[in-house]
Amino acid sequence: MKYSAVLLGLAAILAIGRCEDEVNEAAHLLVSKQILNRYLVETMDIVVKYTVHNVGNSAALEVEITDNSFHPDNFAHISGELNARIDRVPPGTNVSHTVVVRPRKYGYFNFTAAEVLYRRTEDAPRMQVAVSSEPGEGLVVAFRDYDKKFSSHVIDWAAFAVMTLPSLAIPFALWYSSKSKYEKLSKSTKKH
Amino acid sequence: MNRLIVLCIIAVTTSLALAETCQKPEVSASAYVTEDATVLTNIAFTTQFTLKCSNGAKGVSLYAEVEGKTLPAVRLSADNKYQVSWTEDIKKARSGDYNVNLYDEEGYSALRKAIRNGEDPSSVKPLAVVVLNNPGAYLGPWINSELLAAFLAAFVTYTAFSAKWKLLS
Repeated sequence: MKYSAVLLGLAAILAIGRCEDEVNEAAHLLVSKQILNRYLVETMDIVVKYTVHNVGNSAALEVEITDNSFHPDNFAHISGELNARIDRVPPGTNVSHTVVVRPRKYGYFNFTAAEVLYRRTEDAPRMQVAVSSEPGEGLVVAFRDYDKKFSSHVIDWAAFAVMTLPSLAIPFALWYSSKSKYEKLSKSTKKH
Repeated sequence: MNRLIVLCIIAVTTSLALAETCQKPEVSASAYVTEDATVLTNIAFTTQFTLKCSNGAKGVSLYAEVEGKTLPAVRLSADNKYQVSWTEDIKKARSGDYNVNLYDEEGYSALRKAIRNGEDPSSVKPLAVVVLNNPGAYLGPWINSELLAAFLAAFVTYTAFSAKWKLLS
């Protein structure tokens, strides 16, 4: 049983080796899709960054990133386009593309992968299809809830100050008026 | 889109004899820099621009140089429309103007040569320059309002009690 497992592993390594031999002198892209946010909040910016790493040993040509996961009904596109082409990604380098979107609705949202098309060699007959990494499901918080938790609450505290003002100001005014009255009295008695 | 800043564009004309190169380039750009950093981990700088050439050159490969970093300009779906975008850590991103120098293939190789040879990269004339302004990220209020309220309450209490002691003594 053990022996067969070892054999299988060897076969797998050989297969990878053969694959590598076949794709010698060709581009190989790894694409990551990242959400650079601490919180996802309704109507606030979400930064989406696509990074294309070329781990092959030849330049990738006509790299096209397409992301259809941000439907205009659910997201407002603030800046950057979700369809981008990069002419050339040299081997051993990476190129990034950033898009800013704002969710229109709150609730759970599944961030799926972007599609990438590219040519592995200059004379490649077909485009290579690849998918980016998937950021996964995220919770878009309603702006009201976010504001409740993180806003500076200046208006709330100002209202509190106004409400507490009478209980401080009325006794102070009473005391001040009586004080000034007695001071006047004591001054007039001193004069006589 | 209210924070979309259309920035000043300086088109630097270069006179190159080759037919494929862009002559008298004109760039019209729009830019967006994320301002509210309370929900973000990185600040995103994005600019999109259309390149217009007097000789009608199309499909020119463009490269950008920002703060010593070089990055290729990404082509968008529309003709001659490009995007240059990058992200920076909130703590490292400085506020102010960022100059995005755009180069074509030829200028880019000259720029790389200049960097390799340790020469001044600004000696290579860019095709055009797009200016991005980062007004500075908002990281939340300077002082917590509840803290301020607590300080104010303590101050009022202190003045009231000190006045009372003065009267009684």
